[in-house]
Amino acid sequence: MMKKLTAPLVAGLAFMSLGAKAEVSVDAQLDYEVSAYANDRATPGVDQRINNSLSLELEVFTAWDNDAQSITFKPFFRQDEMDDERSHGDIRELIWNKLTDDYELKLGIGKVFWGVTESAHLVDIVNQSDSVESIDGEQKLGQPMVQVLLEREWGNLDLFVLPYFRERTFAGSDARLSPGANYQDAIYESSDEENNVDLAVRWSHYWDELEYAVSVFHGTSREPTLGRDFTTGEFFPYYSEITQLGVELQYLNEGWAWKFEGVARDGMLESAYFGQDLGLDVDCLTCVAGSPLNLYVATADHYFATAAGFEYTQVGIWETRIDLGWVAEHIYDSRQEKASFGAFEHDVLLATRWAANDDADSTLLVGVVYDYEYEDYSVSIEGNTRLFDGLSMAVEARVFAPASDDVAQYGFRDEDFVKLTLSYYL
Amino acid sequence: MKKLLTSALLMAMAVSSWAQTPEEKGLEIAVEGDKRSEGYGDSKVKLKMVLIDKKGRQSSRDMRVKGLEGKSGEGDKSLMIFDTPKDQKGVAMLTFTHKVKSDDQWLFLPALKRVKKISSRNKSGPFVGSEFAFEDISSQEVEKYTYKYLRDETINGMDCFVVENIPTDKYSGYTKQIVWIDKAEYRALKIEFYDRKKSHLKTLESQEYKQYLGKFWRPGLMVMTNHQTGKSTRLVYEDYAFNVGLKEKEFTKNSLKRAR
Repeated sequence: MMKKLTAPLVAGLAFMSLGAKAEVSVDAQLDYEVSAYANDRATPGVDQRINNSLSLELEVFTAWDNDAQSITFKPFFRQDEMDDERSHGDIRELIWNKLTDDYELKLGIGKVFWGVTESAHLVDIVNQSDSVESIDGEQKLGQPMVQVLLEREWGNLDLFVLPYFRERTFAGSDARLSPGANYQDAIYESSDEENNVDLAVRWSHYWDELEYAVSVFHGTSREPTLGRDFTTGEFFPYYSEITQLGVELQYLNEGWAWKFEGVARDGMLESAYFGQDLGLDVDCLTCVAGSPLNLYVATADHYFATAAGFEYTQVGIWETRIDLGWVAEHIYDSRQEKASFGAFEHDVLLATRWAANDDADSTLLVGVVYDYEYEDYSVSIEGNTRLFDGLSMAVEARVFAPASDDVAQYGFRDEDFVKLTLSYYL
Repeated sequence: MKKLLTSALLMAMAVSSWAQTPEEKGLEIAVEGDKRSEGYGDSKVKLKMVLIDKKGRQSSRDMRVKGLEGKSGEGDKSLMIFDTPKDQKGVAMLTFTHKVKSDDQWLFLPALKRVKKISSRNKSGPFVGSEFAFEDISSQEVEKYTYKYLRDETINGMDCFVVENIPTDKYSGYTKQIVWIDKAEYRALKIEFYDRKKSHLKTLESQEYKQYLGKFWRPGLMVMTNHQTGKSTRLVYEDYAFNVGLKEKEFTKNSLKRAR
């Protein structure tokens, strides 16, 4: 992986020396993280309840041409005590930005975020999730891209060409927060594999208190279908070629923020396996006559998934400086029990967000995600505060309560944890 | 005949001025103050915010503010970029002030690359942990208050109008503001803020006024004191620049993502 990323790195540095006359700013964030797990792992492996981890993210920035051109370079490294898969490096950003009167051009490795809801980020598809970083999918891998943005009276139009695919990261089989699986190499529907060129476009606009966006993506799904190799018992990620239509809506009305996002997808695999014909209603992809080992897949019909709800904020409760927010969202996936691993099929999120509005910008978010059909739930607590300028502290705790052994969360039944992160800014 | 008409008109004007209600006079002062700050085009300033608690402990924030004057009856636009505390570096806030309806406000969170629209409902809430509320730092438009002239008074040797401003927005955290405006240059030297229970909550004092481009007066120091908590916030302005050629496209939702 690192090898593949060296070429753009060198190109980027060469680029930067071109702008050598411009002022270069360098920032760094060093994180020390310690996690404590309540139980030993449910699956076999090394039992370790305490894990230490260090990460470093640099940001090098320079601008010239009266700030109309800039380059941002953000390398990231992590060293993890327990998980070799989590010890990794990534170029979060290495991007050249050019601003003209008519358009804005971005070229390189970048990151974009789409979406409005808190519980699930369904629409957000440009960047791959760096799942070893956090299980909420909010940490992303850098995505090679050409982006052209048009800002017009009729809204913003973002056009993307994404020439290279990043595989999702997975925790190692003997690490914590892992279902204990070994992963084989990824399989792609596209014959170009990770070199398939993906395309995306998003139009966004607002009218008064209503913000809206429509997006279309065509290319390799960021979300894999987890296939099973029945000969080895291992998993393999299968990346389908999909077309996704995304819609985002947000309406602010007094203290209420009403939110909706939804996707309709075509082309996603429902399941895949390596092995013999089990007589299921599946297609055989690599059928060699007489071979006992073939790849069988079942393609999902069109499906849709939505997340919708509200956040209500009370400003200055009990005559204090504290703001209190209430979040309620419903997540739905039309595939129901056939939904992919980790998807929310029929869940609700109930959360409360506290902002102390103190000089340390302290915040606290407590949430419950409840699957009202399987009756399993998980609880999360996330708190943040600043100890002094340059040192911040974050606490995250999660409790998983799977209701039975046939839900995806079952693999996490003994993974309840508390994590403390100290972030030092240089 | 013509002469007679003119003098009658003059007399009518004199009478009307004499009969001017305190509300009319208050509005007149506000309109004049607004007129004197017109025509700045665009501006840039560096800002240091120092938060001081009851025991005198300090913490500070550095930010830069770009402003664009509203054209043809529109409110001003402003972009605020945070440089410190270091964990907040790159956070940016865009505000479109409106004369009558609520302001539009967006916040950019650089770690997530997410632009979030902020509810105008929270205007009474504290701005980044300071004693300033969101509504205190937003651009002041004449239409945001109703006015009542109270009296003349001298502070710091300057002759002032004392005017009562009542916010028109029901989400304002204030029932009224008492404003001291100097008669010579129409600068707000002092503002007392009264909370929803009508008790005196805060006082803002603006000092070290300097004139830019031979026209626009801006304070070098603003001190907001909260009388109920004993905390205060100092805003120190540096390197004011006007008419620097900022464009509309530097004040868009998308521009938040590249603000630095």
